[in-house]
Amino acid sequence: MSSRTQSIEQRDSTRLSGKARGRAPFLFLAPAIIVVFAVLIFPIVFSLIVSTYDWPLSEGAGARSFVGFDNYINLTKDPEFWNSLKLQLGFIFIAIPIELVLGFAVALLLNREFFGARVVRSLLLLPVFFLPILSGMTWRFMLQPRYGPLNTLIVNLGGPEVSWLGNPITAYIAIIIQDVWRMWPFMFMLLYAGLTAIPQELMEAAQIDGAGFWRKLRSLTIPLLSPTILTAVLLRIIDALRVFSEVYVMTEGGPGSATMLFSLYTQRQAFGYQKVGMASAMAIFLLILSIVFALTLVRKNMSLDVLEEKAGA
Amino acid sequence: MMSTPRKKTRKIIVNSIIAIVAFAVLAIELYPIAITVLNGFRRDIDILSGRPFQLNQLTLRSYQLVLKNVGFQVGMKNSIIVGILSTGISVLIGAMASYGIARFHFRGRNGLAYSFLVLRMLPQISLVISLYLMFSAVGLRDTIAGITLAHTSFNVPYVIWLLLPFFTAVDKAYEEAAMVDGCTRSGVFFKIFIPIVAPGLVVGAVFAFLNSWNEFMYALILTGVNAKTAPVAINGLLGGETLTWGQACAAGTIMLIPVFIFTLGMQKFLIRGITAGGVKG
Repeated sequence: MSSRTQSIEQRDSTRLSGKARGRAPFLFLAPAIIVVFAVLIFPIVFSLIVSTYDWPLSEGAGARSFVGFDNYINLTKDPEFWNSLKLQLGFIFIAIPIELVLGFAVALLLNREFFGARVVRSLLLLPVFFLPILSGMTWRFMLQPRYGPLNTLIVNLGGPEVSWLGNPITAYIAIIIQDVWRMWPFMFMLLYAGLTAIPQELMEAAQIDGAGFWRKLRSLTIPLLSPTILTAVLLRIIDALRVFSEVYVMTEGGPGSATMLFSLYTQRQAFGYQKVGMASAMAIFLLILSIVFALTLVRKNMSLDVLEEKAGA
Repeated sequence: MMSTPRKKTRKIIVNSIIAIVAFAVLAIELYPIAITVLNGFRRDIDILSGRPFQLNQLTLRSYQLVLKNVGFQVGMKNSIIVGILSTGISVLIGAMASYGIARFHFRGRNGLAYSFLVLRMLPQISLVISLYLMFSAVGLRDTIAGITLAHTSFNVPYVIWLLLPFFTAVDKAYEEAAMVDGCTRSGVFFKIFIPIVAPGLVVGAVFAFLNSWNEFMYALILTGVNAKTAPVAINGLLGGETLTWGQACAAGTIMLIPVFIFTLGMQKFLIRGITAGGVKG
């Protein structure tokens, strides 16, 4: 930056901060703050209140009454709650590592120029933007017995016909397959961007020093990429915590409650069993879990400071 | 040591192998999408019989049926209206807030900016129950206004963070010059910033629209016959006793048209679009 522009910027920033004491920033931010209060903050506070009530959904089902922390205590005694939490965590711990490994492997493979590289890289991302309900619908079709393409393939290869969505264990595997299919390209996209940012000279230097593929991967690529990997995994965890639509369309949580992930069970509590107080307690529980991960991500990246460094540079 | 021509040949061979593997991965990955699009052009009998695909199965029958389906018509119309409304509102409000954060230094600025970022990441299920009770109380349930407001709730924080890099990248010399000429703050915003960040506004609008277009849970719970969006209508097609895969796939393919156009047209911005603030600069 030249000293001339720098002096302008300094002059400018003192001027702006003088002005900023007025109402100006508030006027620009007010609409956003009002919307956020009306449809985000207020609902959260309201949820907190509802979670301390025995609150039937329809008025005919009895009166509301204040019960304090009873909903939370009852949750810990509800085996279905623990089941949905277990399924949810299992979903995250199985699907995301597979997505990470697949995405990383393909990013390494495609991190060079070859015929059609750009086309492959961009088309691979289509599933990420595929409507979640269509993803659920597509996989429900793929996994149908008799006419589903995956079953046809298995039968043609001499395997048994599987009623994927009719069997608790295979249904759980199926919702994980669906998620891996849709989201590994997301990992690929972030890791590929991270890979291209590694200076080529470093790799060449390692090559000259006689480091092989695995050695370079272990001592160079993975350490340099670890911030990107952490960010990608955190983003995926935050996203996977709220999975609903795909699974709802695929299985509605069934058979039985074999795929009843956390959001599905919360929805069932509120609108199936009509226990809005219990459902709100679950909502608050998930909210706190999500905020912990979101804050971890935000603190780690501190995007705002980075933006300013970039703007000032 | 290898001679240059041999090295070159080797390189071509390696690159060809990688290209073949890459296209194979792509083909497997896109196969389910292709199946869905294809099924929209087949009759249900052909789909359900498990007969292999043949060219003479192609038909527009499912499209004719689904376009005549009143539920899907209403859903489509609502999806377009809600998408445009919530996008318009979110981009306007979000751009103003983004400008406020980018250009003013006030107490609590960082806290506010990070709150928006965290709020963007909250699970919908945590909000939808109270939204349902609130909307029921004030008569917003199953109305276009209600579902638009719900979609605006996740799009406003999203747009703020998507636009921040665009706003902070604007050279301060522009405002300096404009303010010396006596331009007001809102004058600076509308006459200087909006034209400069216009590309960012387009990116923000496209992704905000897709967020609304793809959204299912709020629409499922907060709307009914009147304000249901297309994803809810498609879910309805799957719910009946007889599975009408052909119609559901035709409807799904129609829903995919803007998704394909936008994602392929927005290549440069896909990472920003999907992470908006979650990833460094």
